[in-house]
Amino acid sequence: MATFLKSLLAAAIGVALGLTATWLAVERGYGFGAVSSGPWTGWPKTGSDGADPYARAVLARTGEVPLGLAEGLSFTARTDEAGAKLDPTCDYIVTGPIPPARYWTLTALTPRGLVIDNGAGRTGITSAEIVRAMDGSFAITLSRQARAGNWLPLGNTSDFVLLLRLYDTPLSSASSSIGTTPMPTLRKERCA
Amino acid sequence: MKSLTNLRETLIGNSPWIAGAIIVAGIVHITSILAMPYLAPKDAFARLEQAAPLNQITVLPQPSSASALMPFEDPATVVAVCRYDLNQAPLRMRGPLSGDGLLLFSFHNRFGTTFYSMTDKGALRGRLDVLVLNQTQLEAVEAFDPEDELPQELRLLSPTQRGFVIVRSLAPEPGSRPQARARIGQIACEAEGNRRD
Repeated sequence: MATFLKSLLAAAIGVALGLTATWLAVERGYGFGAVSSGPWTGWPKTGSDGADPYARAVLARTGEVPLGLAEGLSFTARTDEAGAKLDPTCDYIVTGPIPPARYWTLTALTPRGLVIDNGAGRTGITSAEIVRAMDGSFAITLSRQARAGNWLPLGNTSDFVLLLRLYDTPLSSASSSIGTTPMPTLRKERCA
Repeated sequence: MKSLTNLRETLIGNSPWIAGAIIVAGIVHITSILAMPYLAPKDAFARLEQAAPLNQITVLPQPSSASALMPFEDPATVVAVCRYDLNQAPLRMRGPLSGDGLLLFSFHNRFGTTFYSMTDKGALRGRLDVLVLNQTQLEAVEAFDPEDELPQELRLLSPTQRGFVIVRSLAPEPGSRPQARARIGQIACEAEGNRRD
């Protein structure tokens, strides 16, 4: 009887552990093959035949459709340059360089991937609308308050992530070079 | 100290059970990860199945702060879908690609995995002409190919009978959404008829 109970207990603990591991795996990132540069992380393979089982599981659960490898690359930042979690009560400055791409967009979304409402009705900024300095450089300010120049409003949210999408980029075909490509910096300014 | 020794003895005494639990955990973990694409009730395919008819291009609603058909879509894009079911017919996609705006195409199997993707730059002679089909249909089409010329269309073999194509059109400025929408309007999806029979 004791043996039976013990085996039952062992099986129950095993199932619980296994499901916990699965839950942790799908809650964090998209499996293997992550490429990182500073605060930016991308999973280029999720948009291809080569997506690993973890990436497939995450996508099946969230229902998102990642950018295909030939369409472009998407990078997510959850922290600033210093590694501190992004906080919508703070101001942030994003400065170049941005890797070559036909277009790029920078978007603030909730950690679940929803649009964040804000008074200005702007949810992102694109390479076509950016205002550049004489030397071609630019800075984007992320803030809840209106800012001069390139302003990306942060709406009324407790949490946000930044998505940088490089559309039609030559980087797609050489994913190994992503880690060494200069990516924009994401610096925290003052906080409210 | 005594209790620590007791704990150690309990652990050693039960080590076969602990090992068993770990093995069960491993099996459950691997099985659940591999099974998730087959069991997830709200994957992209299921969401799109309710939002769009077969063999027809359908523009998806703009994501809002309350809901999004698919999370993490770029709010600067207009997104459309063509669903297909090869049990009924191959899918034909046609349209002009002028190259003055960014259009993105990704082809997904039943489980959401991308089996092909391209941009408007990948078009043949400024036109989109894609045929999505299965192996049997591909052989049937190839049987009618002239021997001395290459096919004028891009033929994509779908790994599953059902699937979907996502078309994204970028509106680089807030005011250019109507143009982005119009570019999608020029793309047609339809069931390929038996015109070669």
